[in-house]
Order: sequence, then C-alpha cells, then structure tokens
Amino acid sequence: MAEPIERKSLESSLSGSPLTGTHYDLQYSPEAMMPDVKVLKIGGQSVLDRGRAAVFPILDEIVKAKDSTQMLLCTGGGTRARHIYSIATELELPTGLLASLGGYVARQNARMVQMLLAKHGGIYIMNDDFEKLPLYFKLGCIPIMTGMPPFGYWEKPSPEGRIPQHRTDAGVFLSAEVLGAKRAIFIKDEDGLYDDDPKKNKSAKLIREISAKDLLARDLPDLAVERIVLEYLPRARYCHELQIINGLVPGNLTRALAGENVGSIIYKG
Amino acid sequence: MSKLVADDGRTHIVSPLMRESLVDRRVIKKTQTENELAILPDVTLVSLGGHSIFDRGKAAILPIAEEIAEVRKRHKFVVAVGGGTRVRHTMSVALDLGLPMGGIAQLVGAMEEANAVFLNALLAKHGSIVMQREHFWELPLYLESGMLPLVISVPPYHFWEPPTDGPIPAHGSDFGVFIHAEVLGMKRIIFVKDEDGLYDRDPKKHPDAKLIKSSTLGDLLGNMPPELILDHTLFGAWRDARHVERIQIVNGLKPGELSRALAGEDVGTVLTKEVARG
Repeated sequence: MAEPIERKSLESSLSGSPLTGTHYDLQYSPEAMMPDVKVLKIGGQSVLDRGRAAVFPILDEIVKAKDSTQMLLCTGGGTRARHIYSIATELELPTGLLASLGGYVARQNARMVQMLLAKHGGIYIMNDDFEKLPLYFKLGCIPIMTGMPPFGYWEKPSPEGRIPQHRTDAGVFLSAEVLGAKRAIFIKDEDGLYDDDPKKNKSAKLIREISAKDLLARDLPDLAVERIVLEYLPRARYCHELQIINGLVPGNLTRALAGENVGSIIYKG
Repeated sequence: MSKLVADDGRTHIVSPLMRESLVDRRVIKKTQTENELAILPDVTLVSLGGHSIFDRGKAAILPIAEEIAEVRKRHKFVVAVGGGTRVRHTMSVALDLGLPMGGIAQLVGAMEEANAVFLNALLAKHGSIVMQREHFWELPLYLESGMLPLVISVPPYHFWEPPTDGPIPAHGSDFGVFIHAEVLGMKRIIFVKDEDGLYDRDPKKHPDAKLIKSSTLGDLLGNMPPELILDHTLFGAWRDARHVERIQIVNGLKPGELSRALAGEDVGTVLTKEVARG
C-alpha cells in the first residue's frame, strides 16, 4: 500500500470536522449588519397589479418617510408570475425553473417602482448589489430590489406541487434577517392575516397577532404569507416579526413605519 | 389569445392560477403532475471533493484530472468542485467575527471558484470550461461540442441563506451538487471523495467504522448515521426530488474508480432512491 497522500489543512475551529450537523459547541455571537433598515414588500397581485390607483398613494407615503427612515423596497410578482407558473406546470417543468422564471416578473415590478421613484432617489438594485446598501442609504436613495431570493435553478423541489417554496415573502424575510432588522413589513390589500382567503370566504376572520408556531399548528388551508417563512421564523436570530398591512388604506404604511402595530403581526415563537 | 380581467381592481391574466393564492394548499395540489420534464437526462454530475481531493495537492489532483480527461471521451458529465479546508477556515473566522449566517453563505463560494480555476488550468487543453451561473443555458452547447463544463458546488443562496438552529449554513456544497443535477433531470451523481464510500461513522476518527456498500434513501432517512460524508440537507431534498435515481460515492485516490462508476459499475457506495422492500 502506497503512503497516503497528506491533506494540506488550515488549522481552524472547523478543520477536520464535517460541515453537517448543528455544531452547538461553536462560539458564535452574531453582529447585526444594518438593524435600522426597514424591509418592505410591495405585493404583486395585491398592490402592483392594481396599477396607479393603489401604487401611487403607497409611494407617496414612502417618499414622505424617506428622509427619516432607511427603507429597502422589495417587490412581489403577481398575475404574470401566476401565468408563467401555469404554463410551466402544463409543460411539467421542474420547480427550479419555475423559481427562476418567476423571478423575471418581480424584477420587472422592481424596475417599474424604480422608474416612479427615480426623481426621489429610487434606485434599482440586484441581489449582487446588496453590499452597496450603506452607500445608497448614505446618498439618500431608496433601493428597490426583487423580493425573490436568488436561489433560481437551485430552488428545492417542493413536497407537493411545483410552485417554489421560496418566493417573494421568503426573500423579504431573509433580507430582513441577514440585515438584522427586527420586522419585515408586507404591504397587501387586506387588513392583515385571515384564517382563510377573505376574497373568497367572506366570513374569514382577521387574526391580529399570533406566533408562527401557533399559526402553523392551526394548519389553515390558505395563508397571507408563504408557509416556509413561518417555518423559518422560530429559528430567526433577528427578524422576529412579520407585519401584514393594508396598503390601500391611506396612512397605514406611515403608521407601520413609525412602529405601530397596524394590521397583523406574526411573531417568532 | 390571453385575456385580461380587471373586475376586482386588480388586472389578471386568465390562467388556471389566476386570482389564486399560491400559498393555498388546494391550489398547490393542482400543480402536481405525474411526470416532470428531464432536461438533460443522459448527463452525469461528478463532484470532486475539496477537502478530500483538492486539499491533498498535486499528488491527488493530477491523477484524477488525467482520469477525467480520458473518461470524458466516453461519457457526458459536468464536474462540480468543492472548496475544502479554506471553506472551513473562512467559516471559522466568520463565526468568530460574528458575521450573520447569510454573510457566511455569501463568502464561501469564492474558495470553490479557486478550485475550479485549478482544475480548469489542468484540463483546459482537454476542453474544460468554468461555467458561470449566468451561463446556465449554455450547458448543452458545452456538452454537445465535447467540452467539459466545471461548476462550483455551493448553491447561490448567499445572503438569503435560511436560518437554522446552528450557525453553519445548511445549504452546502453536497446539497448544491444534488440540486444542480436534479433541476436538469440527471439520473445520477458520483461523489469523488477520499474514502471507499459512505461509513456509519467517520472512518478517519473511528477505525472500526463500517462501510455501507449500498443503501436506499428510505433506509438512510430512517436511520441517519450521525457523521456523514454528505450533507443531511441533500437527503431531505432527495426525498422530494423526481430525477436523481442513484448517488454513488467513490474513492478518488484509487485510480480507475471514477471511470468504473461512470461505466455503471457498483464501486464504492451506491445509494438508490427507491425505498427498500419487505
């Protein structure tokens, strides 16, 4: 037997250990990157597909807040994403392709919002520009980014169906989490979280405040936020609250940006 | 012709998912189909371990590079490279500094890129090319022209890495390799490591560790060894996957093992998707 070929390893707390498992023994006290940034999502189907009547008043509130608040705006997809997912389903394409294709729509929406906010410092950013956020804020800009996380073709197959599990809600939550922001705000067209789709079920009840675990335990057939975000929330280190507000009600966004509990709050736990 | 509907203040395009909540289980169920398109079913993904091969330097890298150049003449495959000890060092420093987990995930791919460049320098004369992620759809071009695409393994989750109980990103290189093969409809993945296969314990620490010659995903999920040569996240994703049928782990320090695996031989450990009968 020949001499084994030696590994040229760098000594570190992780050398020699597999990177699988949880490593509870490691010393780790994370630092929040930009905890003061408010991460907002402008809904695709709920807001942007309504056009001017819904979008302009929300942007007015954003512009009013911009000098006192650092905001990262993220956009949802909406009906064009649904159209893409429908055709992709008919073609039996894998989930990773749907995730990648769905990304186009949210990027278009981000570009639309940028054009409207350009005169107020709106700037379209890609996922790769994330590290430049401090510069944009320093210059008084309003960065606008797709809500989709950059997983694309690397999106996991879903346990059922082929709709990607990580869509724009997940991307917004994960953006808030990595920035160290306590709350992510979802601007939609309903007063908050309901126990069923209020557009189809008129007796659906509004839930003002609930923990992620309790909400998952209720096992509702439909939710106002992507299910996977509720699975992540209990493990989050920073983003401990999701706030869902009705952006069609004037003043709601301003109140939410001031820290008021308008709409519904889903909290960690 | 597609029709637009705007009767509720929102403008919809008519489609089976129109007006639907994509979170609604009843809607999700409708998107289930019996089959799924396999985009490149005849291609194999070969993963070259960072820790197990690259960190050993020339003595380990040159023979496997030569074997890859030779066997490429007979088989179509993509090579994914790992990062190895520099990834561990990166993480160790990042953890000490208290960088957020997404920040750690953002950093590690660079160490794999370095290994892709090493391998490309050796294999360029045999037609290798480092495929950038934005060139994803050029893969058929490379393969059909007889080239050998090299990719990095870690998935592009970057700053958006989902939180876990521990500080180490869960979506590591093995998972990245798996998902790359799965989304393209590949049937098999060969992991080239520095052990004869999958053991029930880390054979580097436990001389009495037992080699698992073959197993099924169902058996592994039911009785997961605590120290595995592959990421746990890979197995969870495999459960929901459609295409990858076979994952083989071979010893890249033994000449010829990769070629035999590509030829379909049961060298090393062979893991299959179907659940064991009986």
